[in-house]
Amino acid sequence: MIQTAHLRHAYRQAPWRIQRQWAGLFLLFLLVLAMVSALYLDVTANAAIAGREIQQLRFDITATQRTNADMETRLAELLSTRNMEVRARALGFRPSEAGEIHYLFVPGYFLAEGVRLENIAPPPAAAPSLPAKYTMSLLDWFAAWLDTPALELAGGDILP
Amino acid sequence: MRQEYAWRSIALTTLLAFLSVAVLVQMIRIQYSPEAEVFRAQAEQYSGKFQTFYPERGEIYDRNGHLLAGNEAVYTVGVNVHEMKDAHTIALTLVAYLGLNYEEVMRRLQDPGGLSFVTLANYVEAEDASTLMKLQEQMTADALAVNQHSALDGLEFQPHLQRSYPENALASNILGFVNREGKGYFGVEEKYNDLLAGNPVQVWVPEDPNRAAEIPRIPNGTTLILTINRDLQAAAEEALDNAIYEYGAHNGAVIILDPRTGEMLAMATTPRMDLNQFWNYPYVYDQSYLYNPAISMQYEPGSVFKILTMAAGLDLGVIAPNTLFNDTGSIEVGGAIIQNWDRQPWGAQDMIGCLQHSLNVCHAWISTKMGEENFYRYMNNFGIGHPTGIDLAGESPGRLKQPGDLEYFPVELGTNAFGQGVAVTPIQMLTAATPLANQGRLVIPHVLYAMVRDGRQFNIAPIHGGNPISVPTARTISEMLAISLENEASMALVPGYRVAGKTGTAQIPVDGYYDPYSVNASFIGWGPIDDPRFLIYVWLERPTTSQWANDTAAPLFSEIAQKTVILLGIPPDAIRLQLVNQ
Repeated sequence: MIQTAHLRHAYRQAPWRIQRQWAGLFLLFLLVLAMVSALYLDVTANAAIAGREIQQLRFDITATQRTNADMETRLAELLSTRNMEVRARALGFRPSEAGEIHYLFVPGYFLAEGVRLENIAPPPAAAPSLPAKYTMSLLDWFAAWLDTPALELAGGDILP
Repeated sequence: MRQEYAWRSIALTTLLAFLSVAVLVQMIRIQYSPEAEVFRAQAEQYSGKFQTFYPERGEIYDRNGHLLAGNEAVYTVGVNVHEMKDAHTIALTLVAYLGLNYEEVMRRLQDPGGLSFVTLANYVEAEDASTLMKLQEQMTADALAVNQHSALDGLEFQPHLQRSYPENALASNILGFVNREGKGYFGVEEKYNDLLAGNPVQVWVPEDPNRAAEIPRIPNGTTLILTINRDLQAAAEEALDNAIYEYGAHNGAVIILDPRTGEMLAMATTPRMDLNQFWNYPYVYDQSYLYNPAISMQYEPGSVFKILTMAAGLDLGVIAPNTLFNDTGSIEVGGAIIQNWDRQPWGAQDMIGCLQHSLNVCHAWISTKMGEENFYRYMNNFGIGHPTGIDLAGESPGRLKQPGDLEYFPVELGTNAFGQGVAVTPIQMLTAATPLANQGRLVIPHVLYAMVRDGRQFNIAPIHGGNPISVPTARTISEMLAISLENEASMALVPGYRVAGKTGTAQIPVDGYYDPYSVNASFIGWGPIDDPRFLIYVWLERPTTSQWANDTAAPLFSEIAQKTVILLGIPPDAIRLQLVNQ
């Protein structure tokens, strides 16, 4: 019985078994490091792709705004006083004379004064303000973490 | 044996650990070495670039939302030297499609002077650029089919915006224009250049896509809405052009104002210029003040000025509508004799008769009864001799000499009363008359109705410039002027509407003497007189068919007033009063 206990103890204390445990721990560390690296690489790559898409979308917005401004001006040319008069006359219309106009009283109706163009220029969408932790690299985050006062990390207040 | 391996293992481990530490130390040392700053600076240089963002210039609309000044896409055509394969073909293409000079293009392509992008043509119309782009696409596709480079490789098109005026010359005197550098000249474009142009911003644009969100969004220039009614402006310009042709006048101006608010509804002048060809400016105008004579041209107004003298006299109480004046045909003021326009006596006249027959003697008598101090106080309160403050670039102040000025003579109290010896601009004369049409209250004329920025519209409130005369005086003078027009069956009358107004025929001083054959003919009037909605000033320079404003300016006023009531939707008096009673 005692001999069996000695053998079991010797087995546990065998040098090759301790070495294997150390090797296992080391491999586990490598595995965790590889996983973190892979995750970091994936996140960084996706962030870069998203950044490129944002850049491209901004170029597209600029191009669309330019096209809009151009088309608006061309539409205004088509609807200009001279063009509209020519088209109206071609359709058989002519300017009305004072005696040809009939005025009607419409209760509750008031002629709107001036135009409102607020909808033509919608307010620019507010730029998303991401927290820094979503845009900084891992090393940036680590450096910031090192610079952060311990008190803030602890989340506590200074007590008297 | 096992011990020997152990020593080797320890030695190897120690060595590797030492090397690792050494690498780490070296890394840290490099990070904090003096050279590191240099490398960081170099890296920073390539991490992005400074770019200047020019905001899109704000648009200009009329009060009903019609675009008067917008932006259109044009292209800069150039060559990326690094990608260019065939300079000869590019040059020939640009010669054929854009009319460029072959030798000049070749010279610039063969000697780009260190530039990677050579600009060959700017402000190329979208249609021309589109044709070229299609040609380039076709040639690229053909070349790819045979695994070769296209001869037009390197030809690039960079779009940008330039100012465009859809109505061409309409309201050119109000709008002004913008040159290639984006600077506004004259009118609204100059007055509100800073607002329209926005603020160019120079920012650091990072190449790092993770920092794309740092690129700022530059807000466009402010969009302006003017008080101008485009259709009324077009009608006024057409009527003015016809009148100048019909009456053989040199130039002219028509201003239509809402006397309640000071909003400028139309301001037509001649000559006008196609704003899309602003480079013709020096060929159209000899002097800068001719660009918008309605605010820049100073001249003696003549008899239209009498309405101010009469209003001042009534307000001061030195006269009343039924005050009788025995016109002997002349009056002495300051040692000089003043006579009527026909040098004839008109006998006993009440004040309506004085206005109706436009008697110089009677008005000189009124001003002398008022006295210098009172007369010039009223004229100052009417704004004579001061800029009106209209929001258009290039306004002239006019001139009113007063007692104490070096060039003032006592006779001018008499001559000023009927519009001689005083210089005004059309807008100044019109502004001075606003108290008469607006219950005694003077309004500052303006063309800006509202601003639109960041999606929000800010309307401009009317600005008042005091009350030179009382409400009863304003009503009285309006009634007197309406009666005087009706008594003489003036050509200025507007069928269906009661209007008040006065003609002005002023000889033009040449070399210190009045030229009897050159006159400024004018008419100022407003209506409907029970609730004035429009105030119109008509001015014709040197009409040749007749010297009398009643034959030229008055019918032009009537024509424009008739168009105004239609376009503004003002019913005839009878219908309007009937509607009010309902």
